[in-house]
Amino acid sequence: MRLFRLTFATILRRKSWAICALATAILPFALPGFSMASERPVLLQPARIQAAWGTVWVCSLLWGLFTAARQGESNCRSGLGEYFQTTGVSPTRQWLELWLASLAYILPLVLLAAGICLTFAMPGDAAERAMWWQINAQYTVLFLLVIASLLGLAIAIASRFGSAAGFTLTLGLALYGLYGVGLIDNLQQVEADPLLQTLSRFSPQYRWADLTQRLYFKLGALPAPVFWKTTAYFVGVLAVSTAVSRLLFRTKSAI
Amino acid sequence: MDSQSAPFIRLNAGLTIGYRSPLARSEREIVLTEGTHFLLARNGRGKTTLLRTLARTLKRMSGDFEIQGFTQYLPEELRFDAELPTAAAFRSLLPKARWNDALDLARRLELDTAKPYGRLSTGNRRKASLIVAEFSTRPNNGNVLLLDEPFSGLDAYSREAFETLWCDPRDPVLRLVSCHPDYDSMPMPSALIIEHGRILHHASPDQTWSSLKTLLN
Repeated sequence: MRLFRLTFATILRRKSWAICALATAILPFALPGFSMASERPVLLQPARIQAAWGTVWVCSLLWGLFTAARQGESNCRSGLGEYFQTTGVSPTRQWLELWLASLAYILPLVLLAAGICLTFAMPGDAAERAMWWQINAQYTVLFLLVIASLLGLAIAIASRFGSAAGFTLTLGLALYGLYGVGLIDNLQQVEADPLLQTLSRFSPQYRWADLTQRLYFKLGALPAPVFWKTTAYFVGVLAVSTAVSRLLFRTKSAI
Repeated sequence: MDSQSAPFIRLNAGLTIGYRSPLARSEREIVLTEGTHFLLARNGRGKTTLLRTLARTLKRMSGDFEIQGFTQYLPEELRFDAELPTAAAFRSLLPKARWNDALDLARRLELDTAKPYGRLSTGNRRKASLIVAEFSTRPNNGNVLLLDEPFSGLDAYSREAFETLWCDPRDPVLRLVSCHPDYDSMPMPSALIIEHGRILHHASPDQTWSSLKTLLN
């Protein structure tokens, strides 16, 4: 795990993770003050939920993907990838260690957001409390599965095409999966089109992992069969993205 | 690969190296064992290509070779993140038992390990990556170090310190070192030379750079 330790230490030294940690810790308390919640206290908790998970999404998609892409490119262009390969660390293992190091910085942010929701936005009703734990746990699992697949892709694309491509392509894919697929579905409702239907079917439905609205409106946890089906879907997406990432990932620059 | 016994590199006769077209070929079998071997050639004749081929990060064009030992190839352009202090790189990459030895050598070489890597001079950066390679060897195992231009940017004092370290008989290490020597009396008892598309091995106890450089034309 030498590459994991080196990558973890490198990200730690850059210190930009601290901005994300502070944002996740502070914005859920600061932002509601600028919203309607400042006049209607009943909206305070929903606003806090939205700020907490919104901040984690923004930090993960902007900082997380950028950091992963930078590490993927750096491993390839600095000669470290080639060095590790000669010591017996295979490209698959290098990709895995880079991916784990990137994910290690996202995990605390997600847990912090879930923790804020559980501590400072817990419903008063006893029945709703049990549901609150469940839905936050479901959100954490689905969020991590989505981000994990995107981080792996960012590392792999960046190792081959540079960090700018690694970052923008995965950010574009994430935004498409979160918002673009929904737009296609809306178009489908206006007028059915077989091409759009196929496109939607083969698109990553990252929006299914965004449970912010469910928390916001207290719609309750996902029923167990739906949650496990959604989890299986994202595990499948992760498996496909892992395979694509491994094909794209390389440890040294083209000669 | 069995790395329990003494390290060696065997280039079979007919081993051909190159990227797209052949650069050099070994005419006869060459066997290198524990100790330091220099790799000499003019620019663009295939030093890095040979090292990369031996490190298996580049495919050979034809022929075969064999390496026994835990292998590390140190590319010339190896670098760490600009904001990472060298001490943090050492802690991440080296076994805990060897941190103190590595930091001690860094101190003797006047390498400031607290300074971010990006603020080190070229020579100090080379010292950092060389220390990583030297202290990543596996004690009591055969080790093969393939070093690409490790002396570029190093001052004479540091180069001598590394050469002294290389004479330490405690670790069985085979070093193949590509370099452009800068003083005639530099001892080179074993040298691989790439010239006119051929890989040749010259070995003699009193061999120096002065006697070998005439072969590089």
